[in-house]
Amino acid sequence: MKILTLDQLDQFFTRISETWELRLPVLLPDGTRAIAPFTSAPPALLGGAVPGKPTAAFFPQQASVFTVYDGALQEPQTPDRPLFIIGFTPRDLACLRFIDRFFADGWRDDIYFRQRQHAVVAGLSGLCGPNGAMIPPAGGDCDLEFFFDGSNWLVVPYSEAGQAIVASLPDSSSPKTLELFRQASAQPEDENEILIKRASELLQADRVPDSFWAEIGERCIACTGCNLACPTCTCFGVQDWRSARQTERSRMWDSCQLDGFMREASGHNPLGSEALRTRRRIHHKLAADPEKWGEISCFLCGRCDAVCPTGIGMVAVARELVTRFGLTESKYLVTGG
Amino acid sequence: MKRTLTVCPYCGCGCMFYLVSNQGRLIGVEPSTTHPVSRGGLCVKGWNAYAFVHHPDRLTAPLIRRDGSLQPVSWDEALDLVVARLRAVQEKHGNDAVMFASSAKATNEENYLLMKLARAVFGTNNIDHCARLCHSSTVTGLAETFGSGAMTNSISCFDQTDVILVIGSNTTEQHPLIGSRILNAVRKGTHLIVADNRRIRLARQAELHLRHKNGSDVALLNGIMQIIIAEGLADPEFIKARTENYEALAEAVADWTPERTAAATGLGVEEIIAAARLFAGAERGMIVYSMGITQHSHGVDNVRCIAALAMLTGNVGRPGTGVNPLRGQNNVQGGCDMGALPDLFSGYQKVADPLVREKFAAAWGVTALSDKPGLPLTRAMDAASAGHLYGMFIMGENPMLSDPDQGHARRVLENLELLVVQDIFLTETAALADIVLPAACYAEKEGTFTNTERRIQPLRKAVEPPGAARADWEIICDIAARAGYQGMRYSSPAVIMNEIASLTPIYGGITYDRLDPHGLQWPCPDREHPGTPILHLERFTRGLGHFSPALHQLPAELPDDRYPFVLTTGRTYFHWHTGSMTRRSHLLDREEPRSFIELHPDDAARLGVRNRDELLISSRRGQVLTTARVTDMVIPGVLFMPFHFVEGAANALTNNVLDPESSIPEFKVCAVHVEKLP
Repeated sequence: MKILTLDQLDQFFTRISETWELRLPVLLPDGTRAIAPFTSAPPALLGGAVPGKPTAAFFPQQASVFTVYDGALQEPQTPDRPLFIIGFTPRDLACLRFIDRFFADGWRDDIYFRQRQHAVVAGLSGLCGPNGAMIPPAGGDCDLEFFFDGSNWLVVPYSEAGQAIVASLPDSSSPKTLELFRQASAQPEDENEILIKRASELLQADRVPDSFWAEIGERCIACTGCNLACPTCTCFGVQDWRSARQTERSRMWDSCQLDGFMREASGHNPLGSEALRTRRRIHHKLAADPEKWGEISCFLCGRCDAVCPTGIGMVAVARELVTRFGLTESKYLVTGG
Repeated sequence: MKRTLTVCPYCGCGCMFYLVSNQGRLIGVEPSTTHPVSRGGLCVKGWNAYAFVHHPDRLTAPLIRRDGSLQPVSWDEALDLVVARLRAVQEKHGNDAVMFASSAKATNEENYLLMKLARAVFGTNNIDHCARLCHSSTVTGLAETFGSGAMTNSISCFDQTDVILVIGSNTTEQHPLIGSRILNAVRKGTHLIVADNRRIRLARQAELHLRHKNGSDVALLNGIMQIIIAEGLADPEFIKARTENYEALAEAVADWTPERTAAATGLGVEEIIAAARLFAGAERGMIVYSMGITQHSHGVDNVRCIAALAMLTGNVGRPGTGVNPLRGQNNVQGGCDMGALPDLFSGYQKVADPLVREKFAAAWGVTALSDKPGLPLTRAMDAASAGHLYGMFIMGENPMLSDPDQGHARRVLENLELLVVQDIFLTETAALADIVLPAACYAEKEGTFTNTERRIQPLRKAVEPPGAARADWEIICDIAARAGYQGMRYSSPAVIMNEIASLTPIYGGITYDRLDPHGLQWPCPDREHPGTPILHLERFTRGLGHFSPALHQLPAELPDDRYPFVLTTGRTYFHWHTGSMTRRSHLLDREEPRSFIELHPDDAARLGVRNRDELLISSRRGQVLTTARVTDMVIPGVLFMPFHFVEGAANALTNNVLDPESSIPEFKVCAVHVEKLP
């Protein structure tokens, strides 16, 4: 582990950009934050998770699958310089771990891994949450982690690539420091984690009536923002653009909140109402994924709750669901509403 | 990889977002978290606003019709021909034989320039745009009653109100980021009344849902006002201090007893009384309306009644109140503000006023400007068929799908001596043109758009236009120069805005350096003015608010034995108008891939129609094939059909009857026959 002052951090970024395409949280012109190329805007490492999903670096909203020009197939190129991305919070890193496994499972998604395989991923934690709140360190799931102690950045390597980068840094300090912070920031399971687990339990026990989903579905305006902001949503659609000599196939983020997502060619749709689609969205993360992958695939990053214009993101729905149907009989007893 | 802060090209909400681009190609959209409307969210069209931009159908070269087909040519050849042919038509038939159609999809600067081109260079006031089809009745009705034809309040007011009356607006689908605010307000205790006979999403959350007959809005509003007056629920202090002509209103609505209103609207007496008490009883009430009010042969009367209801209850000039017409297009407010209207210069300054004409003539360096008001867009087709109009220059509009009575529109457009279309795709209208000019889309140019709350916002260039396509403002300036006019040379849209500000009092304080990040709301008369979130605070723009009573009139065409259904038309959430952009956006087109018509289960059962059956719909104007959607969204006897689809075009059926004052067509009511195909 090394320690970087703010000046040293800036020098470090400059040096990293010589080898990698460095992306990090920046402040855009109207105060919105995003993970963007270094030097494109002032860095903004403080403030917590960025609103857009950081996994978009590897799985962007739209990406080329291939182009056929005059009968010749062209596939997208591996980038000249690998990505170095700072800005994944520990929850974001859990999401990345989840979709890494998803995209590698069975048929390996080469479009995803073309971006992902040589990328260096850096976590972000410490006193850099919203309004200076503590984000507990991830302690893994990334190549290296930047931890803000309130004045300096502790840089902790985890992978071989991370070790090599950290070894090249000028300063060093006692490895006990991060452990002290970790202990100091250790806290009992937070309310949202308890909520989501209880909601998962209720869904798996089939304790949530259809009427609940009808009510939530009435508030869905099908903006699809919940899916598009979610780091563990991996569904995509495919389109072909044809012109005289060229066919360009691309894929784009899809959404299970759209009627067309599951509509059959006949026109019939087994998920033909907002109620069923909303149920599916929540059920997939909290009941289907635990069955398939052994874990809930919502890591409580909060993006769907922030992006939803009508307040039916994951935590909001889980809270309503648990408040109405699951206040008792659980090891995850919840007292708030 | 780059992010460009810009304005959504779809509805009047005017959300701002970042276009994400990589190596000159758009790869996505990210909402602005700090914008006062979007606040970190977007609707489905906003999230997909990047998707059509690089579509292979984009126009990339000017086209000229030769030997019956459109052939690519150079800009020089195309623009010289545009000028020569416009001049030829004018020399043969007079200056007013050509019409310029501007666009609510183009920027303020471009609307101003096309208006200037028509008036200063080609000497005609025949300039209009699609506001004629959506809110011309608002502009007329609110100018008369309040003195300003725009949304009185701000979108943030939906968070500060006690009751919202939504009449003729499917807000969650057509202004989704306003609709969602209404949904949120209701959850926090705001009362909601929806008057619309479709069972729209807001209606399903409303305390009262009034499913009145199509075209009976004046009766309903007069009935509500009668109850308010009779029960002493009006605001006498506001009426006395801020308004005039109240006695005429009170007299006009006196006969509209609940029983008579019920008979005229098809509603129950109790629900009308409940609505009147709920609205008038609240401290702060907002009225929201849109095409369901405006697109009638008595659209201006509908607007007059809405203005009267707001004044009667003292709901003007305070936060959480107001008359809030939701402007449809991203820049339809700006198109009107810029004077792309046949009788008004920018800032609603009258063509009829000699001092105004003098001011513009002096600024533009021309000797005189025509004092004869031009043709409204909706009267252009009739003027052409009557032999008064021979050439049209259409920028970014598609009347082949958007105008009423498509057969009539097609015959006229095909028979013009000259049709020039400037657009981003070869639309159904462009396909009929003699000359087609390829334009840059919203993501490829700079300028400003003005949203429904009068917020003038900066549009920024994210990527280059395809091929030889150019920004509309550049094309217009080039045409002016080739026509021998030296007064339209600008280095950038910012310079054009300086000229607009110098001639347009409500935009007087607008300069680009003041628009970061999220714009200013007009009126903004000088450089120090902070903009105006709420109109008519101390006094109405016209001084006193004017009560204009209206008489109930039936729609022009009602069902009969031969055409027994009412057809009402509109839009879907997933498509935008004539679909030139959204039907080229994969997820949006997948969501609503084909024309459909909604009919009630009772009607379907009677006709033996099932969901997704193919139907032949006929009116006195034409017939179309479409697909049945059996749903209780509509009431028995009423059908709803969106107008986005070239195959199954609703406007092949609609009635080209116009409101006499605003010239808005009656898109919302015509009579049709339904036949199930074997």
